[in-house]
Amino acid sequence: MNGAAVVGTVSETGAPSADDPRRGVLEVNDVVVEFDTDGGRITAVDGVSLHLATGETLGLVGESGCGKSTLARAIMQLVPMQRGSVRLEDTDLGTLPRRELRRMRHRIQMVFQDPRGSLDPRMSVSTLIGEPLRVHSIGDRTSRARAVAEAMELVGLPTAVADRLPSELSGGQQQRVGIARAIVTDPAVLVCDEPVSALDVSIQAQIINVLDELRDELDLAMLFIAHDLSVVRHLSDRVAVMYLGQIVETGTASEVFSEPRHPYTQGLITSVPRADAASAARLQTARRLVLGELPSLLDPPSGCRYRTRCPYADDECAATEPPPEAVDHADGLHSLRCHHWRDIAARSEAQPSSNSQEQAQ
Amino acid sequence: MSALPLLEVDDLRVTFNTASGPVHAVDGVSFTMEPGASLGVVGESGSGKSVTARALLRLFAITDDVRVAGSVHFDGVDLLRVDERRLRHVRGGQIGMIFQDPLTSLNPLMAVGEQIAESLRLHRGMGRAEAASEAVELLARVGIADPEKRATELPSSFSGGMRQRVMISLAIACRPRLLIADEPTTALDVTVQAEILLLLDELRRSEGMALMLITHDFGVVAATCEDVQVMYAGKLVEKASMAHLFDRANHPYTEGLLRLVPRFEDAHTGRLHPIPGQPPITGGGGSSCAFAPRCDHAFDRCRAEVPPEVAVGPEHLSACWLAAERARDTIEAGRPWKRDR
Repeated sequence: MNGAAVVGTVSETGAPSADDPRRGVLEVNDVVVEFDTDGGRITAVDGVSLHLATGETLGLVGESGCGKSTLARAIMQLVPMQRGSVRLEDTDLGTLPRRELRRMRHRIQMVFQDPRGSLDPRMSVSTLIGEPLRVHSIGDRTSRARAVAEAMELVGLPTAVADRLPSELSGGQQQRVGIARAIVTDPAVLVCDEPVSALDVSIQAQIINVLDELRDELDLAMLFIAHDLSVVRHLSDRVAVMYLGQIVETGTASEVFSEPRHPYTQGLITSVPRADAASAARLQTARRLVLGELPSLLDPPSGCRYRTRCPYADDECAATEPPPEAVDHADGLHSLRCHHWRDIAARSEAQPSSNSQEQAQ
Repeated sequence: MSALPLLEVDDLRVTFNTASGPVHAVDGVSFTMEPGASLGVVGESGSGKSVTARALLRLFAITDDVRVAGSVHFDGVDLLRVDERRLRHVRGGQIGMIFQDPLTSLNPLMAVGEQIAESLRLHRGMGRAEAASEAVELLARVGIADPEKRATELPSSFSGGMRQRVMISLAIACRPRLLIADEPTTALDVTVQAEILLLLDELRRSEGMALMLITHDFGVVAATCEDVQVMYAGKLVEKASMAHLFDRANHPYTEGLLRLVPRFEDAHTGRLHPIPGQPPITGGGGSSCAFAPRCDHAFDRCRAEVPPEVAVGPEHLSACWLAAERARDTIEAGRPWKRDR
């Protein structure tokens, strides 16, 4: 093993200093969220730190129950945090009094999975899109009407639908309304929680393009949560992979997805069915990288969270929790939690395959 | 191809009479499946892929005002013309089915082992004890750990992936000759999806059953199926072997579907290419190519006549006027299958 272990630029080791150019519009530091369930207390988010810069998209991936949606809700201050801080444009949201938190909310907005369920069925499209402006008392009647029209244009809604009810819209148009509502208050950060997974494939592509264009045009910082890795890869500059409440690997999308270091990330990526001749063989490989079932959060494994499903796990993995460690080349953004990633990388290099992502055991 | 197909669907038509008029959900679909074959059926929502599968077994809601025409020969018997009693024997017996949401098909108040055993008693005439032990065997067969204990549990105590395994064990309990899987992994995490797809593939090979898999995802088809057919507005627009289709998709709709989704392995620059417009809500039934209004290549003939199925390669059919004209040109030039792109 290489001696240069923990490198300071890793986000988990703390937020960058004030003069760091990478200092983000959103700084999430060491967030812990616990819940009481029927079976006992669980830690849904376990010490997560991340940062987002203006105009940047961070993709958050992981299986159901990994804590990605809970993290999003914690960032939005919709669920209480047991520990940690969320700073939005230098304001610590966690310590704000209720009234001031409400005032900050227009700077961080959310897009939900189910567009129909998040829209009041009795309100017209223009009323729905203008609602956040009225709630936050932004502007007067004229400026609000102008902002609504602008938002509709940005998301590609024709003016003809302004007076319609949500039920008169297609699924794709409903989600455009959801997005227009989120951007109408001119937010700095957009949190998207599975925004396309309820939509038909052809509509998905349209909505993905809308989000892509908005990010560029409005210089939004976007946290994009999805279980579809191809969509995340398409939209994200950086990604973070979550497993049982922790970020196990993070880095630029191209690094993490083309050279995954964590065995879990390798397994996830190999599991994506692709339309090619090696599809079935790749799934066989995936099965060797992700063993058994997801453990219960009521009884999480000691040491490394992934060790019960990892083909490389040994005693060290059970005994000590691997700290976030930077991959030494590149830009210091790529880091992961695994005791053995160097050995695993060396082993797969010794057994070259046709594709760098095909890291069989 | 061998002489006796397992399934022979001929000119299947399904029309729903709705308040706003007839919907031609399936509009003259014909295909065959050999014993042990694997066929992926791909299309957008509303393309008619699920209705086709339901029509094979006349699985419609009592409230549906539906007319079914054509024939569905399974093992030589036309399922559209047998009586309800005979059909019940085929459903869940010779033809098994799994759906996207296993909860809708499992009884929430009955232990999963009992549900499987009930089916075994009904379709395979087993006694109580034999059925109970076979149920445990089946749960083990689909990869459920500690099957004796899990057999006594209710569906609600299983995770999404494990519940789908239970559903599969129920579907294969009576050793069906055909398994129809309608979006079986759409609601599952990607690692669980991989497990279920491998399981379906293994079962098909070991049990010698045929698999019809309905999905919107070509990746899922590639992992499990040798053949694929693409549906649009109630019609089959393209049929091919999956290996052949990867780089030789012919129909503009198939090409559109393949380009629509970001491919994981591609360089991720630029925008996606959605297919403009929407599928017709009334399904098929027109006198032109139903895809013409959304097609970049459409010309006059596409808007005037329904395109024929044209052979564009070995066991590769495309229902497209462009393909028809190209095929005519290449045949005239004496070089079939080698068309310029």
